[in-house]
Amino acid sequence: MEEGCMINSNFLGISLFMRCLRMLVRILVLLYLAGAPALAQTLCQPNASNGCRVRISIKTALGNQAYEWNENEMFLFRATMAFAMRRYYKTETYNVDNIIMCNQTLRVSFWFVVTSPENSTMLIPKADVEKAVRMSRHRINNAFLLTDRTLEFLGIHPTLAAPVNPDTPPWLIVFGVVIGAVFAGIIALLVSSLLQKRRKEKGMMEDGQDEEDRQMKGVENDNVLDGIYNRGFTDDDRFTKL
Amino acid sequence: MGKDAARAEWDNPMQFVLACVSYAVGLGNVWRFPYLCQMHGGGGFLIPYMLMLVLLGVPLFYMELAIGQKMRLGSIGAWRAISPYLGGVGLASVVTSMYLCLYYNVINAWSFWYLFHSFQSVLPWAECPVNSNLTGHVEECERATPTQYFFYRETLDISGSIEENGGIHMGQALCLLLAWIIVYLFIVKGVKSTGKVVYFTATFPYLVLIIYLIRGVTLHGAINGVKYMFTPKMEQLANPTTWINAATQVFFSLGLGFGSLIAFASYNQYNNNFEKQAIVVSMVNSSTSIFASIVTFSIYGFKATFNYESCLERVRLLLLNTFDLAEDTISLENVNHWIAELNRTQPEQFASLGGRLETCDLEAELDTAVEGTGLAFIVYSEAIKNMPVSQLWSVLYFIMLLLLGMGSMLGNVIAVITPLSDLKFISHYMSTKTLNGLVCLFCLLLGLGFTTRSGNYWFTMFNDYGATFSLLFIVLIEVITVCYIYGIKRFEKDVKDMLGHRLNWYWKIMLAGVSPILLIALFIFYIVNYIQGGTPTYQAWNKELGKSVVTEYPPYAQAFIGLLLASSVCCIPLTALYTYCKKRNLASGKRERTVSTVSA
Repeated sequence: MEEGCMINSNFLGISLFMRCLRMLVRILVLLYLAGAPALAQTLCQPNASNGCRVRISIKTALGNQAYEWNENEMFLFRATMAFAMRRYYKTETYNVDNIIMCNQTLRVSFWFVVTSPENSTMLIPKADVEKAVRMSRHRINNAFLLTDRTLEFLGIHPTLAAPVNPDTPPWLIVFGVVIGAVFAGIIALLVSSLLQKRRKEKGMMEDGQDEEDRQMKGVENDNVLDGIYNRGFTDDDRFTKL
Repeated sequence: MGKDAARAEWDNPMQFVLACVSYAVGLGNVWRFPYLCQMHGGGGFLIPYMLMLVLLGVPLFYMELAIGQKMRLGSIGAWRAISPYLGGVGLASVVTSMYLCLYYNVINAWSFWYLFHSFQSVLPWAECPVNSNLTGHVEECERATPTQYFFYRETLDISGSIEENGGIHMGQALCLLLAWIIVYLFIVKGVKSTGKVVYFTATFPYLVLIIYLIRGVTLHGAINGVKYMFTPKMEQLANPTTWINAATQVFFSLGLGFGSLIAFASYNQYNNNFEKQAIVVSMVNSSTSIFASIVTFSIYGFKATFNYESCLERVRLLLLNTFDLAEDTISLENVNHWIAELNRTQPEQFASLGGRLETCDLEAELDTAVEGTGLAFIVYSEAIKNMPVSQLWSVLYFIMLLLLGMGSMLGNVIAVITPLSDLKFISHYMSTKTLNGLVCLFCLLLGLGFTTRSGNYWFTMFNDYGATFSLLFIVLIEVITVCYIYGIKRFEKDVKDMLGHRLNWYWKIMLAGVSPILLIALFIFYIVNYIQGGTPTYQAWNKELGKSVVTEYPPYAQAFIGLLLASSVCCIPLTALYTYCKKRNLASGKRERTVSTVSA
């Protein structure tokens, strides 16, 4: 009789234990399910060390053709970010669920964090996220028809275009053209004055005397006289006397 | 008369008028007159300006033309003929013109530099260049503006002060070489070549100004600038500086005292009607100043409005980003309303903005008055880069600056060459072409000093001190010489001889009475101002701060300023002394000879 009671009480203990265990599991599951978003909330904090802030200015970029920012656009953003992470790590494990957004405002700005696909509580460090974004920046911009300045990732500077350095600076080319034209002008001037001088000499040899000299020289009895400047006839009045 | 038959002449009186217009209408009309208008009360400044033009400018202009046309010699020969003791006046004019030649062509070199750099898809002064590791822009450019960076760093490669010398900037040197070759080309055959060139240099700038006027008044915000310029602030008329500046502007704008006008007029026919021409050229010069100010102020208005609206945009973005409001809540019109609103509703967060919130003020933007090279090369290029099709406007603008500068340069160089070629011993040894070439080469070699890293500071020194004070002195002596030593009666006889009618009472009163008094007053004011000003200072570009700081000149630079002033002014008394001694030696020598013959 006593052995049956013992067995009965043991049996009762085990079933109680099992019931407690089940309840614990249920509680844990409930906690997990309830706490997952809460966990996500704790993961995504503004100003957290691993969070990236994004600011979008659609109206500035597109004006009249601006689209409205809604949940679908948000989904596209998460998908694009997952794409960027995949491309950077060269794996195919990242998914939309790994990108967690929080603190969305009317400005259209928000924070996001990226969780690791293996462990959903572990966050990818900010530096790696930034590198991934930098690598696919162009694709991300184009997905939203925006530019580096209108789709801002705070902390990631817009990439600057590398300066184009031509072999000869363009100003030197224009300078060369102008100075070539000027030298051509000088040469033309020299040549024309040389030609004029030669024409004058030829003219002189034919006539026998220069134009100016003819005015100064008088002719008397077919003798050519040299004119001498007579100082007696100068008008000295215009010079002040001391 | 045999001696004068060989002197070159203008082909027709029109060439002479255009040469005077081309000389008088220069860079000062574009960058100094608008600045003075702005400083001294907008439209109200025209009253002292016109008054000074009538009392001072036109009579002195008339006098210089009369002297040149009568004497038919450059400034040295002409003044020696008027009064042998005061032949130094001509020499002082030549020295001052020489200083002007040295530094003025550097401005043309800069115009060439900017012109050549306008032939690019993106104007180099529109954006800051990226730094070496492509992370951001060059620091100096970030602190200053791209246009300032382009001017001070890439054009001038300026050093921190006048003491820090550096090498020659090759690009500048090449542009200076080009400028001097072109000047040589224009003057190589004397007035024959100059006469043809001035048809172009005198008229083409007006074409560009008209095009710019049309473009300027159609720009957004131009009307703000024009309204600002023309609203007269009559209280400025009570300020004596206004009247002084008006007199100085009339004076320097017409180019009196440099000897250029005497040189131009010396190539005239003896009976040329210079009276009508003097009035025409003065009026054309003044109306060009006013016309250019309208253009400048419409561009100013555009630039100020553009900056004001950019400031508003930055504030709007700052508010949107800090308070996370939707994009279309704040527009440019209600920015100020929102500032008050947000300050009221969320004071703590508003306080966190701190110093980043700028105050945008259109009046303050318009009030920033800049003159001189700063206006032409920094402010204007900043306005141009924001216009659509900016390359075209840039090219047009710098071609206009070049033509204005070249036209004035012609007058400056002719003022130096004409008296030199009149000197017997020079004309005996070399032809005009060689003399012109030598003068240009000499000025080019010395001008290379202005293309060094500290060259701009020396340029400013020459600009401020090389020609201002000495000119006043020269013109004062000129007027006193003509009216009192030569005699107003003899002057009247000469004018009647040339023109055929007597001197009008207006000219007589102005030349003999009003102008000398005004000039003496100006002269005294300058001396007082100079003494009261203390140590002369200049604006040195500080690359760490990205702006200009006021620095004092070192002692050797101050000594150089004194040398500049003294070297031209001293010519007058020294030549008088020299002539006096020569005459005394001659007289005593004659006496000795007469004594010896008698004794023999």
